[in-house]
Formats: sequence, C-alpha cells, structure tokens
Amino acid sequence: MQALWNLLKYLRPYWMFAIIGPLFMCLEVAMDLMQPMLMQHIIDNGIATGDHSYVVKMSILLLAAALIGLFGGLACSIYSTKAAVNFATDIRQELFARIEQFSARNTDEIRTGKLITITTNDVSSVQMALLMTLKVFVRSPLLFIGSVIIVFVSARDFFPILIVLIPLLAIVNWYFMKHAGRLFRKVQETVDRINTKLQENLAGIRVVKAFGRQEYEKTGFAAINHDLTNINRRANQMMMGLMPVMLFLVNIGIVAALWMGVIKVEQGTSEVGVILAFINYLTITLNALISSSHVLMVISRAFPSAERIKQVLDTVPDIQESQEAYRPEKIKGNIEFRNVDFSYSKNGEYVLKEISFKANGGEKIGIIGTIGSGKSTLMKLIPRLYDVDRGEICIDGRNIKEYGLRQLRVAIGFIPQKASVFSGTIMDNLQYGKDDVSKEEAVFASSAANAMEFIEKLDGEFEHVLTQGGSNLSGGQKQRLSIARALVRKPPILILDDSTSAVDALSEKAILHSLQEEYKDSTTFIISSKISSVMKADRIIVMEDGRIVGMGTHRELVATNSVYQEIYRTQGGKEESVHESGRYETSWQ
Amino acid sequence: MSQVAMKHPGSKGRFGGPVVKAKDSKGTLIRIWNYMRKEKAPLILAILFVLLTTILGLVGPYLIGIIIDEYVIPKDISGTVRMGAILAVVYLALSFFTWIQSYIMIRVSLVTIKQLRQELFDQLQSLSLRFFDRRTTGDLMSRVTNDIDQLNNALSQSVIQIFSSVLTVVGVLIAMLYLNWMMALVTICVIPIMFYTTKKIIKYSSSNFIKRQRDLGELNGVVEESISGLEIIQLFGQEERVFDRFSKVNERLRTSSANAEIVSGFIGPVNNFINNLGMGLIIASGALLTLHGLATVGVIAAFVTYSRQFFRPINQMSSLLNTFQSAIAGAERAFEIMDEVPDLQDKRDAISIDVLIGDVEFSNVSFGYKEGIPILRNISLQARAGQTIAIVGPTGSGKTTLLNLLTRFYEVDSGEVKIDGHNIKDYRISDLRRNIGIVLQDTFLFSGSIMENIRYGKLEATDEEVIRAAKAASAHRFIKHLPNQYDTIITSGGNNLSQGQKQLLAIARAILADSRLLILDEATSSIDTKTEIEIQSGLRNLMEGRTSFVIAHRLKTIEHADLILVIRDGELTEKGTHEELMAQKGFYYESYRNQFEMG
Repeated sequence: MQALWNLLKYLRPYWMFAIIGPLFMCLEVAMDLMQPMLMQHIIDNGIATGDHSYVVKMSILLLAAALIGLFGGLACSIYSTKAAVNFATDIRQELFARIEQFSARNTDEIRTGKLITITTNDVSSVQMALLMTLKVFVRSPLLFIGSVIIVFVSARDFFPILIVLIPLLAIVNWYFMKHAGRLFRKVQETVDRINTKLQENLAGIRVVKAFGRQEYEKTGFAAINHDLTNINRRANQMMMGLMPVMLFLVNIGIVAALWMGVIKVEQGTSEVGVILAFINYLTITLNALISSSHVLMVISRAFPSAERIKQVLDTVPDIQESQEAYRPEKIKGNIEFRNVDFSYSKNGEYVLKEISFKANGGEKIGIIGTIGSGKSTLMKLIPRLYDVDRGEICIDGRNIKEYGLRQLRVAIGFIPQKASVFSGTIMDNLQYGKDDVSKEEAVFASSAANAMEFIEKLDGEFEHVLTQGGSNLSGGQKQRLSIARALVRKPPILILDDSTSAVDALSEKAILHSLQEEYKDSTTFIISSKISSVMKADRIIVMEDGRIVGMGTHRELVATNSVYQEIYRTQGGKEESVHESGRYETSWQ
Repeated sequence: MSQVAMKHPGSKGRFGGPVVKAKDSKGTLIRIWNYMRKEKAPLILAILFVLLTTILGLVGPYLIGIIIDEYVIPKDISGTVRMGAILAVVYLALSFFTWIQSYIMIRVSLVTIKQLRQELFDQLQSLSLRFFDRRTTGDLMSRVTNDIDQLNNALSQSVIQIFSSVLTVVGVLIAMLYLNWMMALVTICVIPIMFYTTKKIIKYSSSNFIKRQRDLGELNGVVEESISGLEIIQLFGQEERVFDRFSKVNERLRTSSANAEIVSGFIGPVNNFINNLGMGLIIASGALLTLHGLATVGVIAAFVTYSRQFFRPINQMSSLLNTFQSAIAGAERAFEIMDEVPDLQDKRDAISIDVLIGDVEFSNVSFGYKEGIPILRNISLQARAGQTIAIVGPTGSGKTTLLNLLTRFYEVDSGEVKIDGHNIKDYRISDLRRNIGIVLQDTFLFSGSIMENIRYGKLEATDEEVIRAAKAASAHRFIKHLPNQYDTIITSGGNNLSQGQKQLLAIARAILADSRLLILDEATSSIDTKTEIEIQSGLRNLMEGRTSFVIAHRLKTIEHADLILVIRDGELTEKGTHEELMAQKGFYYESYRNQFEMG
C-alpha cells in the first residue's frame, strides 16, 4: 500500500488526466443516479395526474441523461487510460535505466529472473491497478454513496431497510473475501508447485528418460494434480456461494420495500413510484458493492508488485563513479593488486584473501587453481563488477576507483565464462566491443578468435542474424564470437575467464597463438583449469582457497610448487613434457 | 432488479485481444464431451437446475408487477404480505439453486480437467526426444497450464452462463410479450443498436490489441536479453545503446497500449448507455401507454427489471462466446500433444530382461536429427563387456549423438545397434535404459534435497547407500560442508551449486544406479583437476567390470581406454588403443601432442 503510494510521484506529469478522468466518471454516475428519480417523477407526478406533456418532457430528459452519461463514460476511459499507461511506461523506463546501473552485487541480491519479471509483469499489474482505481474504483463508491443519499433525501421511509441491509452485505462480502483470499493463495501456491514440477520435468526430460523414471514422475505429478484439484474446488465452490447469498439479501430488501411500501401507501405518506425508485437504488447499491470488492482484489494484487518495483528503485547502485573521475587518454595496462580481500556477502567468508601481485603492461599471465579458489572473482574486480572490501587495485599506478567507469571498462576486453551474445547481426555483436568497428577490424578480430572459419559459412556472414541469446550458434561458436567481441577493441587489458571451454583443442591453440602474436601489448590474463592453456604464459599464478600459493613460470612452478605439480601430474605432465614445454617457452618468447 | 450485473468489468477478459479459433471445433468438442461423459449424472442435474433458476428468475419480476398492480395500489396490506412471502420463497429457492448448480459444475469441470492434465503429462513422459527437440519448454508448459486452465474456466462457468443466458433471453422475451407486446417491441428495438456498436468496438479493439501484443512481446524480449546480459553490457559500456533500443520499444508500447486500453475501455460506458437507453425507452413508452390505459405501473416495474435481465446476457454473449472459443482452441492444442504418437515404442514381443551383460556392437549406423542432414555416417564398432571405450573428436562431430543412439533416445536411420547380440529395438526401452548409467554433458538436477537428487538413480536406496555413492563420487567432501548437508535444498536447476558440484552429484547419481553400461559424456569437464584425481579412483571403481563409453576433452583421462575412437564430421576416422593411434600420427596424435605441448 505504502509502496504503491510512493510510486504515485510518477503520476505527477499526468495529474491532469488523473483528475479529469474521475471527474467525467462523476458525470456518468450522476446521470445513472438520476434515472430512477426521473422514473419516480414520471410515475408519481405524470401518470398519477395524467399529465401528458410532463411525461414527454421527463422522458426526453431521461434519454438526454443517458447520452450525457455516455459522453462522461467515454471521456473517463480516455483520460484514465492515458494517465495509467503513461504512468506505467515512465516507471518502466526508470526501472530499466536503474537496473542498467546495477552492479553485479545488486543483481546478485535481487536476482536476474526477478528483475525481468519486475520490469514486465509487475509494471503491468500496477498499470492495471491505477486504471481500475481511476475508473471503477471511483465509480462504485460514488454510485453507492449517491444511492444512499438519494434514498435518504427522497425515500426516507425506506431508509431503515438500507441501514439493516448494507452492514449485512458488507459483512457477508468481507467474510467471503477473507476466506476466498486465503483459499486462492493456497491455489496459487499449488499452481506454482505444478508449474515447477512441469518445468523441471520438461527441462530434465533426458535425465528422466535416462533413468527410466517416467512412472515416478507421473506419480509425483498426480499427487500435486490431486491437491490442485481439491484446493481449486474448495476455493471456487466457496466463492460461488457469495453471489447467491448477496442476491438473496437484496431480494429480501425488495420484499421488505413492498411490505413497507403498501403500509405507507395505505397511510398516504408514500407513493408507488417511490417504491420502484427505491428498488432501483437497492440494485445499484449492491452492484457497486460487488464491483468495489472485485476491484479491490485487483488493486491489492498490485501491492506486492509495487513493493518489488520500489525495491529496485530504492536500490542504490553500489558501484559509482567518483566525483572527479580520472579520464586518461590512454591506459598502458600496468596492474597491481595490493592486499586485496573480498567477500560476496557482508558477513560472509572471504573469497579472496591478501591478494598482492603486479602485472606489467603486455605481460601474459596465466591463473590456475581448483573450483572455488577465487580465480574468476579475482578478475571480476578489475573492471569493477565488484569492489574490493580491503586493499586496492591500481592501474598505471592509480586506484581503479578514481577512474571514470567508462574509461576503465573501455580499456578492458573481458571474455566471460558464459558467452552471452545478443540478438541482432554478428556485426551488431562486434559493435558491442567497438561502436565504430570497420569491416577490416571485424575480420581481423574474428580471425584472431578463430571465428572467421564459421562466420564465413553463415548466410550473410557478418550480417547473419542471431536469435535471442544466440541460440542459433553452437557453444563453441558463441565463445569464439565473444572472444572476437573483446579483441575488436584492441584493449590494453585482456581477460579470458576460462573462455575456451567449449572450443576444441586445435582452435584453442590457434586462439592462444594469435593472442601472443597480434595482441602483444595487451596485458593478458588467462584463467583456466587446464595447464595446457596457461603453461606458455610469462607468469602463472596458482590459487587455492582464495590465496595465491605460487607464482612463476611453468618451469619454476613444476620444480617448486606442490599444488602446481599435482595439477600438472594429473593432466599428463611427464618428464618429456617438461622438456617440450621448455622448447615452447623459447618459441613463445 | 433481481439479478446483479457487473458493470465495467475492467478491460481484461472481455476484450483481452483477438480470439484464437480452433481449427476443428466440432471434433474438439466431441473429445471434450468424451471426457465429461463420465460425469453425465451430475451434468444433467446441473442442467435441470439451470432451467429451474432461469424460470425462478422470470417469476420474480412478474410477481413484483402483480403485487404492485393488485395489492399495493389497491392498498391491500395482508395480500401484499402474503404475496411478499411467496416472493421471498421464490428468491430463496433461486439463490439456493444457483449455488447448487455452480457447485456441481465446478466439480464436474475440475474432475474432467484433472484427468486431462494428468493424461497430458503422462503422454509427455512417453514421447521421445525428437518431439522435445521440436518444441520449446515454454510452449509445452503453456499447453499443460494455460490452455487447460482456460478450458476449466469455460467448463465451470461459460458453458452454464451461455446456456442460462440463452434461456433467460428467450424466457424474458416471452414474458415481456405476454405482459405487454407494445412495450416488448420497444425493448427489442434496442438490440440492433447493441449488436452494431459492440461489433464495431470489438473489431477496432482487436486490431489495437494485436499491435499492443506485438510491442509487448518485443519489449519482453529486449528486457530479458538486456537484463540477463547486463554484465556484458556494462563491461563493454553499451548502456546507452541498449537503453535507446529499450526506449524505442517502450515508446511504441506507450502508444499502442493506450490505444488498445482506451478502445476496450469504451465497452463499459457504451453498454451502460445502451442499458440506460433501453430503460429510458421502456419507462417513457410505458408511461405514455399507461396514460392511454394500455399498460399499468406494475407492468412498468416488471419491465424495468426484465430489461436488465434481457440486455445483460446479450451484452455478455460475445465475450462469453470468445472465452468459449479460445478454450476450445486451447483444448485443441492440448489434444495435439495427446495425438502425438511416440516414435519410439516397445515392440509387441519385446524381450524382457533384467540384467544385460554389456557387449555392444554398432554396425553401419547412420543417423541425422533432420532429414537430409546426416550427423553420423556408417559407424561400426564393437565393445566387449567390461571394456572402456573413449570417443574423441572436435566439437559437433557427433560424439554425443553416437551415445544418444545407444540409449535409444533416438532411433538409427540405418544400420543397427546391438547389445548382447540383440538389436536394441528388441528390448523393452525401460529395461535397456535401466541398464545404462549416464552422466550427461549438461548436468540437470531437480529441486529438492541433495539426498533426493542422488536417490533419483535408485529410488529405493537407503540413506547409507546414497552417502556411499556420494563418497565414491567425491561429492561427500563438499556436501558435508553445506549448512544442511544432505538435506540442503537445491533450487530449481541447481543454481546454488557450482557446475563442478553439480557434476559430482550427477556422477554420484549414476554410481548409485549401478548399471551394466556406463556413459560419461564430458562428465568431468567442469571439475578441476584436483577433484578429478580424487574421483578418478571412484570413476575407475565405477567403470570396473562395466562397459563404459567416455567422451572427454582432456585426453589424459582416456589414455588407458581399451579402445579409442576418433569421430570427425560424423565418420569414424581412427580406432585403436592409445599407442596404436599415437603411432598412426593422425588427428589423435595431433590433438594429444597439442594438449601436452602446450601444457
């Protein structure tokens, strides 16, 4: 509720619409309310006295009221919709802009999937809620209050019926809504369960088949299906009781009106037309009450949506540019880590501990270590996807926090583990690396990434269109495109985070070779779990449990470092390999 | 006035966009009926109640008219009280039967739906992978959930509503004609106006909704892609470019969404107007007729009530029919899945076998996922029980495909695959797969505890057996450090574990399954070398005495295989032991040297 209220500031530019819309609705309501009154006059003044012209006059008024009401309703729809749609569109825009600035830590916190749902579904439900508020939620209470007032003024004799009936209707309505609400929440939970079950079953269909677990899956599904059917039945059968009960109450009101009416008519204090008008107002009151509670449900469904939206809008991107950012012309690529500690969560275990090392411009550095040793994390700190907790990282002697974020990141060619490419052409994807990439540069980088080989075979080559997530490329192709995207910017710093895992050995060799030849000046970090990928590096950093446990050339490490020796042995290092690697080291220099 | 109309029901539902129509409505309806037939008795009961409520609904206003004309106006108090009591009883019965009728229909429809949903799920279990390759998970999901739900709505509500609407309209018409034919004619005059305007609005709004739907789809695509690729966008400083792209679509959606909502929002006021217009005409004509002695105040009162009962169903008819139509179309989509014939089925005289020995033979096997694009060509190989067969080759050469044929995930196009001398088509698929343990390239875990996930390999395994398997796979080491150890809940898809940890669990799962044949498809690709050494012994124990097929990028791990096969571009190019292939100096030799030269 509070959250929805806070979002209303986005309505400010459209406040005129938001006020005009309901005003027109008032017009429609007023005309609706006039109708029974006019009818009463026709019956009691016109028919009773046999005044022909009065009846005609009032009838014309009746039709005119209907027309004016129509005008009010249409205008309300136009302005309310404008207010709601513009409001939601602006929120969506703001959300997207904010999410784009989120650091990895921010997105870890809220989760990518949730961010997507917030920007799409939650915004829609907030839009719906506002639209309903401006239209129906104004209409129903007005009709309700209007009817009560009119009855009080013009048919006071029947007012006691309303006094008894309205609280009764409200209580019944509240009772049903409360219980139905509880039941429907359970329905929703069960629906979620069935969706999860189904989604997993479909995604893991190979596993299901491989283990021959079809019957097991069927039984599991049957149990949830059974639950869903039962809870659905209870909820719906309960909910279906509401209408008949409310109807009955109102109809009893009509019977009471007839009883009271005949007495009043007998006494001469009331007339037949008043009874009819009252019956009409009774129906209007009931309609208003029912539609209010329906709308209330729609609106209340938007509360959690509004809260989630607010959560995003209130999140401060935790990586910010410093006020007077340092924006150098050129970055050379000397990198230094000084006593860096890092943890993903505030009170969590440190993933990186006491990391210190220096890399000179143009140096090729391999990083090797077990899963969870902190290799990838270490590299994510350089482009400031995360900020260090303690210590500092310097590029060309300056703390990276002093650099403009853009300057910093433009200097880095990052090739992540998971190659995510975007819908659009291959060229579009390369433009991510460099906005004004020329054909020559594109060909050059693609060749270096060993991607030319498959790009050439595609329809339209660089103009070949990729589907969302690049699902029309194989894993190895995506990785090579992702490498080309980074290479195209000729960055002073290049980071390969285990980015050749889906590339076969020969291609990998070719890629590593061209990095060596064509990107000599780039300070390059190569993370891998395979010694083959890093052994030619100028220096290899060996990591374990978030610490650096060894640093040196392949030869030095093989001779002295026990962790490295162990990895090496398991990957087929033999005496002659040492010899061979020696040969390669010379060829590498 | 005895029935309640929900005015302005919001724009959803009634004008939720264009309606997808079924291709074969009649056939689909018959099939739905076949499901419902089991509930024939309650169904007939429900229909009887609908009839009853419709009649009671007509009696109410009629009685009101009589009470006013014959008791209220003549000031007959006791008569009014008596008639009022009768009216109250009529209303009580009306409410009661209305409730009973929907109570029954909800049951009927949910029971039907339950069965349908289960059959659909069961059918999905029996379809082969070829089917799943053709469809996205999202599409299948929506058939089992959305489409079925729509049908549920239609069955439990729309069907009865359509039925009772028609009855009511006819009944009211008769009652009106009986009461006063002149006023009835005036009322009927409104109907053409109603049809005309509704039709116009629907036509106009559905074209707007198509535009909005298209923009919305595009926007969702952009949002999904941008947010899941956010890290890359930031790393490459492309925030502005992506934002521009988003803004463009968002602006387009602003216009199309406003148009669609405005037009569909018109339906409320327009309906309201038509109701008021009709009512106005009735009152005016009634009053004039009364003045000339051709009608009475009671008749006007009855007509006012009848007119609401009359216009509302006609107003709603088109949207009810729409709901019904899309439900039929949804049911048709669900039936489409039901009609898929699993292309892999047990032979009628399939051999039932408990344990296989494990001799495997491929002879002249060719296969392609799509016609005309062969993936494997003329593959022949032999493996004796207990041997370890390694398969190497570049990405996309067909290694995984070869093993997909062994498990009969797919059927060979030509040639045959034999186990223990019988074509695998002769075995029952369930027997065959029970004898093959698989650790797949993409590890898939289900949400649930770690214990449950490993136990998937052998449902009846005790906790001790599960832990033993986890130890053999070196998974125990990390599991015991988790906060809840074996009870740690894995989220859907296993996102709270690292890729390597997931692979270890998958290996444990296969170890527990204890099958005669084993397939390790890149089973250790995401496991670091140190862990790999640890599970090597576990894997070696696992492979001991079993026929094992191993695909691995790290050639070191397969050096000791009994037979190494090199597959390139779908053909078997080299075959032999490590030493033999090294001597051949072919692809294997090159790759091997590469891996160890460079590292």
